[in-house]
Amino acid sequence: MSRKRALIADTFCLTKRRRCAADSVTDGAADIRSSLQYLMTLFSRKLFNDSLPPVVLKHQLYSLHNDKTSVDKQVNELRENGELLMFQLGFDSEAFALVFAEDYRTKVLQGEAGIETLGTVEKFLAKLIPGCSDLSFNKEQMLKEFLFTDPEITQLVKSGVLTVRDAGSWWLSIPNSGKFIKYFIKGRKAVLGMVKKSKYGEILKTELEGRRTTSQVKFQMKYHIHDIMGAELVECIQTTSGTLLRCVDGNVN
Amino acid sequence: MLSFLYARQSGLDDPVRLRRAESTRRVLSLELNHNRDVDRIHGNGINTLDIEVIDGRYMLSGGSDGIIVIYDLENNSKKPQYTCKAICTVGRSSRHVHKFSVETVQWYPHDTGMFVSSSSDKTMKVWDTETLKPAEEFQFDGNVYCHHMSPVARKHSLVAVGTKDPKVQLCDLKSGSRIHILQGHRGEILSVRWSPRYDHILATASTDIRVRIWDVRRASGSLFTLDQHNGDKSKASSEAVNTAHNGRVNGLCFTADGLHLLTTGTDDRMRLWNSGTGENTLVNYGKVVNESCKGLKFTVSRGCSPEFVFVPCGSSVAVYGLHSGELITMLRGHYNNVDCCEFHPDYQELYSGGKDCNILAWVPVLRQPGIEDDETNSKRGGTQAAINPAFEDAWSSDVD
Repeated sequence: MSRKRALIADTFCLTKRRRCAADSVTDGAADIRSSLQYLMTLFSRKLFNDSLPPVVLKHQLYSLHNDKTSVDKQVNELRENGELLMFQLGFDSEAFALVFAEDYRTKVLQGEAGIETLGTVEKFLAKLIPGCSDLSFNKEQMLKEFLFTDPEITQLVKSGVLTVRDAGSWWLSIPNSGKFIKYFIKGRKAVLGMVKKSKYGEILKTELEGRRTTSQVKFQMKYHIHDIMGAELVECIQTTSGTLLRCVDGNVN
Repeated sequence: MLSFLYARQSGLDDPVRLRRAESTRRVLSLELNHNRDVDRIHGNGINTLDIEVIDGRYMLSGGSDGIIVIYDLENNSKKPQYTCKAICTVGRSSRHVHKFSVETVQWYPHDTGMFVSSSSDKTMKVWDTETLKPAEEFQFDGNVYCHHMSPVARKHSLVAVGTKDPKVQLCDLKSGSRIHILQGHRGEILSVRWSPRYDHILATASTDIRVRIWDVRRASGSLFTLDQHNGDKSKASSEAVNTAHNGRVNGLCFTADGLHLLTTGTDDRMRLWNSGTGENTLVNYGKVVNESCKGLKFTVSRGCSPEFVFVPCGSSVAVYGLHSGELITMLRGHYNNVDCCEFHPDYQELYSGGKDCNILAWVPVLRQPGIEDDETNSKRGGTQAAINPAFEDAWSSDVD
């Protein structure tokens, strides 16, 4: 390797490395796909009677990998390849949901079986999955590029694949995701409340995982913990006993 | 370190590479130094700091009490314990002092004979440093939030002023006129910055969540608006199209070479843009806490590789790698919110001022001879015996 190409930063230790308990932080060659699969296993399918594909939020990946920019890049690559679909959830402009394309297709078709909108939905999925990586569509795009007619668009909205954004444009969405968002927001608030109510407003991550969940929290504890860590709603501090989650003041969602 | 010196001596490396390596090492070891102090003159928070570019010796500070102070940063006493003395102040006893808080101060970019200050009393004053009297005073209709003079301009001496008015005003220091107006924003202008590369490019940030880049030689409007989604209309809700942030944009900073622009907003995000095309480079810095109602003054290091961004975050200063987006460290030392910070490129020191009326100097930690070095350049674990730093190098290892 030519001397000129060696990075100066490599010569110096960029951070003081503390000797602390090894955590779930995987660094080095970040494999996003395996992290996504791990997070999908945390999603509780039975809760929705198997009508929803496993959904993961993009910022949950930030809690597993150090470098946010490379996580974003890899997610975009997977989207370009047509393996992953990204959705804009309504409650936060920065919260994006990720679903594997195959899971999405099976669940949507399963939900549509026997209803007359099946044909339109199939046509839409065929156009969407291989090539398109948009989050929203507007009228000209639907009419000219995808060659849908107005009644067909209404059928798509009725089936839940599109939701209204404003006059003449629609977000791509997951059918039956309303319940998911409701439980998610409630669960997030409950978990944040648990952190806040602990003594000194901080709690070890392993202790929080072991706590009994209240009736408000429908998902697995680990799912919510990855969410609040990745969205930086709590401060993560590495200690000799593991990761400590400390409540950040002024951050009630 | 020894390897860098030998490489420079034998011609394997460019001379500038050794300088950059040492600057980077120094910035990575910034710490609050108990030997260095800055005189405490202000009675209320400090809003702005500026170090002059010619010598790097004098620093201006402007406070919420309307006072402007000039400090001498050079250590002429032979002792390591040094307090940066305030040489002169425009205090409350002066006839020309600003009535309300001083929002921005800046030295004249070409010499220290003059400086310009703007304040919430709706004026901008051009001061003569010798006599500490204003040579010129510009009146405006609303609070003046920020102003900036181009650091590279030789052909013009325009000062860009951002006020409560959505129109950006350009004042000419040579003639005293202020007829040039840049229209396009719809909210108060919180920050203005000239490009350090071209003397006609100006960036402005406003409460209408847009950042515009202007060429002042053109008669028509702005060159372009920065768009956080890079034209990908599908990502935003339809009102948020073509916006730089999701909240008020209150901080702007060009990198030293002028090729990139950093913006911070109250949506707790910081973004890095390519200043030539306006493209969002999508470097993800994570959550950069920002609750400032008015402008936030942050700075980028110069002469290091990789460059670092110093951003005031609550009561500490966060240091991020510029292109990697990772948080290197948080500099904690202030008792209250930090409002401004300024980097001294020659000594790699950082000065920060905040609401606790203190200016803190962050100085790189020197190599201590004979003490286990685990903060400075060491690729190995910290278990080396006390080695004379002259024999340290970056490639050999004691372990095997």
